[in-house]
Amino acid sequence: MASAQLAKWWATIRISWNKQLSYKLNFLLLVIGPSVVFFFVKYSLWTAIFRLEGIDKIQGYDLSNMLRYQIWSLIVALVAQGYNSMNLAEDIRMGRISAYLVYPFDFWSFQTAGFISFQGLQLVTASVTLLFMFGLGFLQHLHVPDLISGLAFSLVVSFFWYQVSYLIGLAAFWLEETWVLRVMFITISQFFSGAILPLEAYPKYLLNMLAWTPFPYLTYTPVKIFMGEYTGSLSQAWLTLLAWMVVVGLLNRLVWQRGLRLYTAAGM
Amino acid sequence: MIICQGLGKDFKHYQKTAGFVGSLKSFFHRSYERRAAVHNFDLEIQHGEMVGLLGPNGAGKTTLMKMFSGIIVPSHGKLQVLGHVPFEREHAFRKKIALVMGQKSQLWWDIPAMDSFLLLQKYYEIDNRDFKKRLGELSALLGVERQLQVHVRKLSLGERMKMELMACLLHRPDILFLDEPTIGLDVVAQRNIRDFIAQYQAQYKTTVILTSHYMADVEALCQRIVLVLGGTKRFDGPIREFSNILGREKFVSVTFSESITDPTSFWATFDPQWNESRTRVDLRVPEAELRSSAVAILQRFPVAEFTMEKLPIERVMNALLANPQLLKGAE
Repeated sequence: MASAQLAKWWATIRISWNKQLSYKLNFLLLVIGPSVVFFFVKYSLWTAIFRLEGIDKIQGYDLSNMLRYQIWSLIVALVAQGYNSMNLAEDIRMGRISAYLVYPFDFWSFQTAGFISFQGLQLVTASVTLLFMFGLGFLQHLHVPDLISGLAFSLVVSFFWYQVSYLIGLAAFWLEETWVLRVMFITISQFFSGAILPLEAYPKYLLNMLAWTPFPYLTYTPVKIFMGEYTGSLSQAWLTLLAWMVVVGLLNRLVWQRGLRLYTAAGM
Repeated sequence: MIICQGLGKDFKHYQKTAGFVGSLKSFFHRSYERRAAVHNFDLEIQHGEMVGLLGPNGAGKTTLMKMFSGIIVPSHGKLQVLGHVPFEREHAFRKKIALVMGQKSQLWWDIPAMDSFLLLQKYYEIDNRDFKKRLGELSALLGVERQLQVHVRKLSLGERMKMELMACLLHRPDILFLDEPTIGLDVVAQRNIRDFIAQYQAQYKTTVILTSHYMADVEALCQRIVLVLGGTKRFDGPIREFSNILGREKFVSVTFSESITDPTSFWATFDPQWNESRTRVDLRVPEAELRSSAVAILQRFPVAEFTMEKLPIERVMNALLANPQLLKGAE
């Protein structure tokens, strides 16, 4: 029985890979895109800020440290925050989930297997980006234990990110458009997670409050773990994140059960 | 197999007046109307039956299909399919049914159909030997052996529909729900699909519930017809009795050697349908008057061809939709 379930998951992951690899140029652009974006946006921006303003340090970060922080934040974004639920919301709204309601494989399992497959490709992209940055000399010190610890934490963050994206996607049972919710979540999380600026730049009282939310663990914590500079309590980081995962997981279950009662399977 | 009692489904229909002011108003207050798509529906379908759900657009046929297959939740009433409550969507139930949606593809667009079939093999836990055997049989019957490795997006509509049917039949479902399986297909492709369904059903005695706008599908495949109008059942019986709703009539088609401009009311009682050049007319003639009418037509007009057959259900449907009061006698 368990092996039959496993076979369903594995077959779904494989078919998602096939689907994503069916457009070769698109895949190639996805893999090299992040490095190109880094040089055009982050590298140019931070170099300009430090050199043109004649600043040596911002909140303890010199240019080389800031670039390292930004590179790791790019890697974390690739590993942990790449997934979005655009298709899910669209599929619900257009009545395209009907087929998956008839197959003897749960919809959540189908979506999650798709996410795992997506993560596999994201890991390829992140590895290519990391090797590229290493080759260019931006990252001189790579410590394997930090790499493993940072990757493990990022993968858990990626699952939390997926859960939230799934929840936003399910809002399509009630809302005609869910992109506003998605943009709001991304904007807020970018601001409070340390994806734009390292969290040292924020006031202490705000950081104390944020510690109880999932936000600082989305970017700042894994980036600092990768850099080997995380000074906070790792167990608190893991526990807070896992607690939020349980909350969002339960919410997903509830929203799916309620939402499905409203599903009209439009267009069939 | 399928038992429903007092089944109903209501939908909320939001209303918005056109233009910017309408959008602004609906932003603060969305008014809606609750409409019954299906109302107080009773139905019983036995194993191995082939039943056609007939009705115009919006009659409630597809809503019924969605409820039968567990995709949507009924608002009221009782429904059991194969001993299961469809909306509970137990895996055991899902393994016994299949749904073909003519207007929605269930195959993955960007990959060959074979990849989708392999995925479905795992979902339905079909062992390798059975899978290969069924795949071979179905692809040979449908004549698509050479298209299995072609990307679905590159297939013609007819080929795609054949693949959709294959995808739904690989697990040998007990009930097959076919929602407009021939929509958009040319006549040859329609006939191929019809022939295949008939052959498959004869071989495996699968229960088939079909909705189609093409009466030829229903006539060729179904022994029983359920007519749905305004969300309620208006006729349920053998197809041969369907045309009797209009009384015992025959369908008479007469072709003339010249255009008929006869202004008399001779034709009026037979619901005449003339072609543009008025050289051909289709009539509904009561069986009791058939002999006398035929003689009168042959004597009075330059008849080149005269054919007579049972009333096609398309004609019956058109008459019923134009005059729903005719159904009162059938209920």
